[in-house]
Amino acid sequence: MTASGNCPTGTTEERELPFSFTPQLFHLHKDHEDGDIHRHMYLQDLYVSGADDEPALSVSEFACHISGCSAVFSALEEYEHHYNSLHRHVCCSCRRSLPSARLLDIHIQEWHDSLFTVLAQRQDMYQCLVEGCGQKFRTSKHRKDHLIRIHKYPPDFRFDKTKKDRGTREAKRPQQKDTAMEVADDVCESEGVCEVMCDVLSEQRELGETMETLVEEEAARMTKPAATMEHTDLSAAFDGNGCTSSETFKTQYSYRVPTTVCFGHSSVRGFRGRRGRRK
Amino acid sequence: MFVPIALRQARRDRQLVSKRLLLTEDEEQREVTMDTASGQQDLVDLLCKVQHSGPERGTHLKALSKALRDPSEQLTFIKQENSVNLLVSLLTGSNAQCRLHAARCLHELSHSPHTNVAPACLPATPYLLTFLSGQSTKFTELCLYTLGNLFPDSDVVKDKLLAQGIIPALANCIENQKHNLAVVEAAAFSLTQLLQAKDAAEKIIPKVLASSLPSQLLSVLNPDPNFGLAPAIECAWCLHYLACSDGNGELLALGALSHCSSLLMSLGGAVAEGNKEEGMELLVCPLLRCVGNLVSCCPVDSLSTQVGDVRLVAALCAFIKAYLHTQPALARESAWVLNNLTAHSTDFCSALLTLNLVPGLIQLLPFSQGINTMILRVLANVTHKKKESCLQLAQLGLLSTLCATLKMADQEMVTLSLEILFMLVIGRPQVADEFVRLSGVSLLEAIQYNSEGEMRRRAAYLLEHHLLSHSADCTV
Repeated sequence: MTASGNCPTGTTEERELPFSFTPQLFHLHKDHEDGDIHRHMYLQDLYVSGADDEPALSVSEFACHISGCSAVFSALEEYEHHYNSLHRHVCCSCRRSLPSARLLDIHIQEWHDSLFTVLAQRQDMYQCLVEGCGQKFRTSKHRKDHLIRIHKYPPDFRFDKTKKDRGTREAKRPQQKDTAMEVADDVCESEGVCEVMCDVLSEQRELGETMETLVEEEAARMTKPAATMEHTDLSAAFDGNGCTSSETFKTQYSYRVPTTVCFGHSSVRGFRGRRGRRK
Repeated sequence: MFVPIALRQARRDRQLVSKRLLLTEDEEQREVTMDTASGQQDLVDLLCKVQHSGPERGTHLKALSKALRDPSEQLTFIKQENSVNLLVSLLTGSNAQCRLHAARCLHELSHSPHTNVAPACLPATPYLLTFLSGQSTKFTELCLYTLGNLFPDSDVVKDKLLAQGIIPALANCIENQKHNLAVVEAAAFSLTQLLQAKDAAEKIIPKVLASSLPSQLLSVLNPDPNFGLAPAIECAWCLHYLACSDGNGELLALGALSHCSSLLMSLGGAVAEGNKEEGMELLVCPLLRCVGNLVSCCPVDSLSTQVGDVRLVAALCAFIKAYLHTQPALARESAWVLNNLTAHSTDFCSALLTLNLVPGLIQLLPFSQGINTMILRVLANVTHKKKESCLQLAQLGLLSTLCATLKMADQEMVTLSLEILFMLVIGRPQVADEFVRLSGVSLLEAIQYNSEGEMRRRAAYLLEHHLLSHSADCTV
């Protein structure tokens, strides 16, 4: 099989074509099991036609592809649900999962855009998270204060995380209820008030902390299909202000690329060596 | 059910041997098992009575045969000096009734679970073989089942029987009695015992293939509506064991593939109409295996002529549907045969399309236990061979189904799905558009985070070379 002529970006990778399917013939061994068993039962007068002694037919399970997420589902809807909740708006740098495209954009900007950091020294760059508010602030702390005072965020929002707190962050995270987010192709009507970029977390910006641990931890909690959903930074937000089930989230091209970090064509997709920590 | 576990274990240990016990006429008529307790006499005592000739000999012999149903009595019997020789002399004597009863005694002995009983019966075997060319149905049946039961029990017995000419004897028997289906069934059963021996491939099968047995088996393969499936079942198992080891295509040369395929087709037709005769699966199974293995050794350019009718694929699809829930293993084997047929033959791939079997196959993709992977292979074969039909395949539902199979936990399903997607997209670029419309891009992106490199590479390639140029237009 070649890709020549059909490949829009040229045939540079023809040699490395990863597809290898060829039709194969299979030969059955004479002692191949199950039918043979029935034959011998028949000979020994033990066979009953239609008797239900074979293992019942089962349906294939679905499984989340994201490495480290071991969630398994018996129905396609559950898979969709899980994926859209946990993996859809994911930053490709630090692999944090955000509930919406807008918040993902904001996250990427504030965390991974060095230009932002430069500009923020001189002007108000931190946007209020509440859609429609439009205000901007010089520091994330100012924004946090604004969110609490003006938009009535609960004071026990996890704003004041420091590096030292990182280890206990997981323990403090409350259980997330299933908010039954729907998947829709429409743009979000309201994004919900979700704190994503704790200013303190921005101090944890070293890439060493990958989403690896976060996803795995979530995966560990995914014992039942999509029974609970944990967002890396959002559970408090959900509890606090309740992104309710009436929210709809934009489903779109999901893994956003911070332009200053991911360069070039290939960085949009493939991540090699997810397991390691990048420093 | 406890039994299959024991049988499966025996199969794993390569110790699975089954014997057949022919019921006595009394038992057949009354449908009760032989009552060994009634008129129970001491075995040794009975033996003495039999030894002394007289008008009551037959009666005592009959009583002896009843006693020999009991395994411990079987052991007692062979321990008695000259006991088997006595039976042999009666077997070959002038009294027809005594012959029959003696044969019955030997038959009971042959059915023994103790493997040391069979070698004790060796003195009788040359005579049993001789009688195979006789005309008495019941007697011949007894002899055949007795020989079939004795064969697997020890190497000494095997070697003796082979040397004494059991293979030509069976061939002659079937040839001369092919209208006598009870005898055919018995002979074919005995042959299956020979063919299942551990060293059959070297010692036995070449001789059988060289004899007239294969063509005899083929000629009596079709089930008789009155007699039932039993003789055909035995013949089919013989053919299967032969096909497993037929490296030289001798069965193909005899038209075995055509015979078995046409039988499968008529069975498939019956199944599709809902006429599932009881026990039909016992015949379908060996036929499927025989056809599947023969197809795998058949040269591609003669496959269509050897099989005879491409509509065999419809029968196979009917079997899959019919047995999906009751006997998933049989459904899987039907799919296996489909795979072998479609692997290298454009004719059979085309048939799946023209007979409109693809949508039905697509509906089977949720089911596991190896069924969906085999069916997906079949669809991959068709996609591979019929590039001009890529758009048609996509429109028949294959593309939207791939969006589901790409999410399955089974890695083989995902990898095959990616391969098929690649072939479809290469075949017809419009397929890429449609896939993007079905939200396939985010699906492939997710796969790039899969722990399996095989999947990541394929997904990445598809995105990079075929899909992203489209998606750039689609996303906001």
